[in-house]
Amino acid sequence: MTTTTEPYSRPTTSEGITAFFRSQKAIPYLLLLPAILVILSVVLVPLLLSFWTSFTNYNLTKPDTLYNFIGLRNYQRLMGNAEFWWAFGRTFLFITIALNLEMLLGLGLALLVNKITWGQRTLRTIMMFPMMFSPILVGFQFKYIFNDSIGLVNNALFDLGLISQPIPWLVDGTLANFSIIFAEIWMSTSIFAILLLAGLMALPREPIEAAKVDGCNSWQVFRHITLPFLMPFVYIAMTIRSLDVARAYDMVRIMTNGGPAGRTELLWTLMTRTGYQNSQMGMANAMGYVSIILSIVFTFYFYRKLTAARTFMGGAQ
Amino acid sequence: MSAMTIEKPWQRWAIRIGVFLAMLVLTVPGLWVMLTAFRPNIEVLARPAIWIPQNWTLDNFARLFGLSASQQGLPVAQYFINSLVISLTSTLVAIVIGMAGGYAFARFSFRGKGPMFLAFMLSRTVPGVALSLPLFMLWARLGIIDTSFGLILVYMAINIPFTIWLTDGFFRQIPIDLSEAAQIDGCTRWQAFWKIEFPLARSGLASAAIFAFLTSWNEYALASQLTRTTASKTMPVGLMDFTAQFTVDWTGMSAMAVLIIIPALVLTFIVQKHLIAGLTFGGVK
Amino acid sequence: MAEVRLNKVVKRYGKLETVHGIDLEIAHNEFVVLVGPSGCGKSTTLRMIAGLEEITGGTISIGSRVVNALPPRERNISMVFQSYALYPHMSVRDNLGFGLKIANMAAPEIEKRVNEAAEILGLGPYMDRLPANLSGGQRQRVAMGRAIVRNPDVFLFDEPLSNLDAKLRGQMRVEIKKLHQRVKTTVIYVTHDQVEAMTLADRIVIMRDGHIEQVGTPTEVFERPVNVFVAGFIGSPPMNQLDAVVRGQMAVLGDGTGVPLPAGLVLSEGQQVVLGFRPESFAPRGHSLHWEGATIAVSRPVVIAEPLGTETILFVELGGKDVQGKMLNPREVHPGEELEFTLDLSRLHVFDKASGRRL
Repeated sequence: MTTTTEPYSRPTTSEGITAFFRSQKAIPYLLLLPAILVILSVVLVPLLLSFWTSFTNYNLTKPDTLYNFIGLRNYQRLMGNAEFWWAFGRTFLFITIALNLEMLLGLGLALLVNKITWGQRTLRTIMMFPMMFSPILVGFQFKYIFNDSIGLVNNALFDLGLISQPIPWLVDGTLANFSIIFAEIWMSTSIFAILLLAGLMALPREPIEAAKVDGCNSWQVFRHITLPFLMPFVYIAMTIRSLDVARAYDMVRIMTNGGPAGRTELLWTLMTRTGYQNSQMGMANAMGYVSIILSIVFTFYFYRKLTAARTFMGGAQ
Repeated sequence: MSAMTIEKPWQRWAIRIGVFLAMLVLTVPGLWVMLTAFRPNIEVLARPAIWIPQNWTLDNFARLFGLSASQQGLPVAQYFINSLVISLTSTLVAIVIGMAGGYAFARFSFRGKGPMFLAFMLSRTVPGVALSLPLFMLWARLGIIDTSFGLILVYMAINIPFTIWLTDGFFRQIPIDLSEAAQIDGCTRWQAFWKIEFPLARSGLASAAIFAFLTSWNEYALASQLTRTTASKTMPVGLMDFTAQFTVDWTGMSAMAVLIIIPALVLTFIVQKHLIAGLTFGGVK
Repeated sequence: MAEVRLNKVVKRYGKLETVHGIDLEIAHNEFVVLVGPSGCGKSTTLRMIAGLEEITGGTISIGSRVVNALPPRERNISMVFQSYALYPHMSVRDNLGFGLKIANMAAPEIEKRVNEAAEILGLGPYMDRLPANLSGGQRQRVAMGRAIVRNPDVFLFDEPLSNLDAKLRGQMRVEIKKLHQRVKTTVIYVTHDQVEAMTLADRIVIMRDGHIEQVGTPTEVFERPVNVFVAGFIGSPPMNQLDAVVRGQMAVLGDGTGVPLPAGLVLSEGQQVVLGFRPESFAPRGHSLHWEGATIAVSRPVVIAEPLGTETILFVELGGKDVQGKMLNPREVHPGEELEFTLDLSRLHVFDKASGRRL
């Protein structure tokens, strides 16, 4: 050490960092550090990798192609690929129809159950039944029930004398789409019903009573008091659902795996087929990005609605 | 609030019938599968259909575990153990890590808090299928493909954001005064957490744990790509394999389905109260 | 000896400064009440003394130690929270003994101290209940019990009575006062209720917007408020304040009424002042609190009469504003009835209009 003209020594960067991690301010970051590390390594790094591969013509069978940068060609080819657009459109439609029907049916069920005065706990427990089923189980269950020769549905229709020929629930393109939507709705309506029922139970009495005193009939009470109050709950349910809407993949995978002849192909099944069966990882990852963006858009949309509804509710909650 | 409006008798009956039908639709498919698991295959395939089980049997389960001589089944016992080990380990770690994160969000204000919370939630938005492709490539490079460890790591990552979300809510419910009072009573912040806040959040944490367990237990998309052999295959993957076999064995598959559903059934019943409270709380307040 | 000394204490949140360098000395065993409207910085100040908020600037010392850098547990203080902050998963007994257990005190000693505290506060029958099964008043007692078992140097109270109903609040006020007489300790007590402040305090600290407006005994702040804010804050009903202009030896009100000013004030002709007088110095003739000496009389019709039993509050118009008068030994008064009021000139408060300060 030589003498220095500086009267004090400036803390070096590393000293500054050590000091920071010993200070109170570091506590929340330290608490979050493990979570951040896990998410970085298991989500962010793979996403970066798949982002890179979506710009290459990476083929699983030829490892060297990982470094074959081809720019936007994968995306360009997707844009011109009818199969992709069909899958994309079908997926979009699937999400839209499923979420809306689930919401409406869930709301209806919640309102009905809310009217029942006796045994509500039991009903709520029964309502949770489908929530315990993993998507793969739901898929298996409906594959079995919609089976054309031994399925519950056809058996019942036969024995009631309604049909003489088996209905090909999973073999006909249109019916297969119907069956899948049915399974999806069976699986997820409960989430809406239960959350909305929780909302109905938390509904304050006073505004409803005030509205009745002000001369509203029951429809008007529902329209102007109950529904606005329930909206945040609707959006929570929508947000939760759009977070994991892609788990419908598991269900479709076991029920039809995109068949017959690609008529139930969703973005997610097309993606795995392209990636593993055809080994076109670059292309599959490009589709993956499209599906990620789709999920984020849906989630973000409902999350925004939720925040807005929450502000709108103000102090009411 | 329940039934404040006065209904006419026919309305009351319409409501009851509506609820009854809805409950029927929600339960019959699952019950039908469970029933099938306890019936012999001949009865299921019979035409015309036999509605009321004539013979009850546990043979389907015995076959699954290779206990019956009639047919060599899949290594279901191994799948079950894999599922159990993977789900339990990933849950335990995810809860510890997620709890730390949730506590940070609930109790501290710090730079970048809002964006960081959003980032965690967004990470959960990525569909499992889309993530499975790069994870497959990466895990293959790292040599942890087809290992329990590889899957545990992935399940930790998908459970952490939701655990953070739930525990953040649970810790917020506990007034901060309590921790402060404990610190004035002589506790360090660490002691205040373990003696006051942790015991109060315990039931909430338990339900977060069950959530995480069920997510791992039921997951298929990632497991289907990241497992290859009995070394790491889980129950959902096994069920899928089963359906893809040449001989269609509905009763065997149903028995396997029952094995998957039973833990989920038991655990969900345990947490059902917290489950609803947790979900709505995190979102509305 | 535990005197508490605040020296130029500042609290800033980012750029927002909420406490602006306050100085305060609290003597050993003194009962000091910090009072002010919400947002005045009184709770923040208390929490800085407790160690729950970082001190941005200045120093706080307890006894001979500067405590700025010490965590709460090393300050030997105890605190009663507005929400009581009872540990919901512990019985009353465990709540009381928690601090002692943390300090690794021997079990028999803990039991002795807990029982003592329980006896002082009459908690005996409830010792094995959980906080959820206690009434508001009982919870309040447990919170106080938890504070006294630890035998702290300083007792901190953060609006401890604000969650109780009016009647219980009155009772608990008396109990706190008794407690202080029994367990002599330094007490710092925060409230927004001036009645609590007046009844409990040895000295009152009146705060506003992060500044201390006045420090004094209850009598001092009541009799000689330093500015219009303190004058309006202390006393119920509040002091009447009327704008006036100095003309010779008189202050002339908006409606032309002239009020003779006390001697010895340095005033200039035409100066804008605020004339303050408490309702009890403005009463119908024959119903005053004080000897009716130097008074002026005004006749006014009563606008509203509020009978309170031992007294009736009368609203009349004076100087263009509603003012309140207090009628002792009341008789029935009807609105519109004209009464002759006497204004006690010896209890006039004169403030400068521009600065608000007492003249």
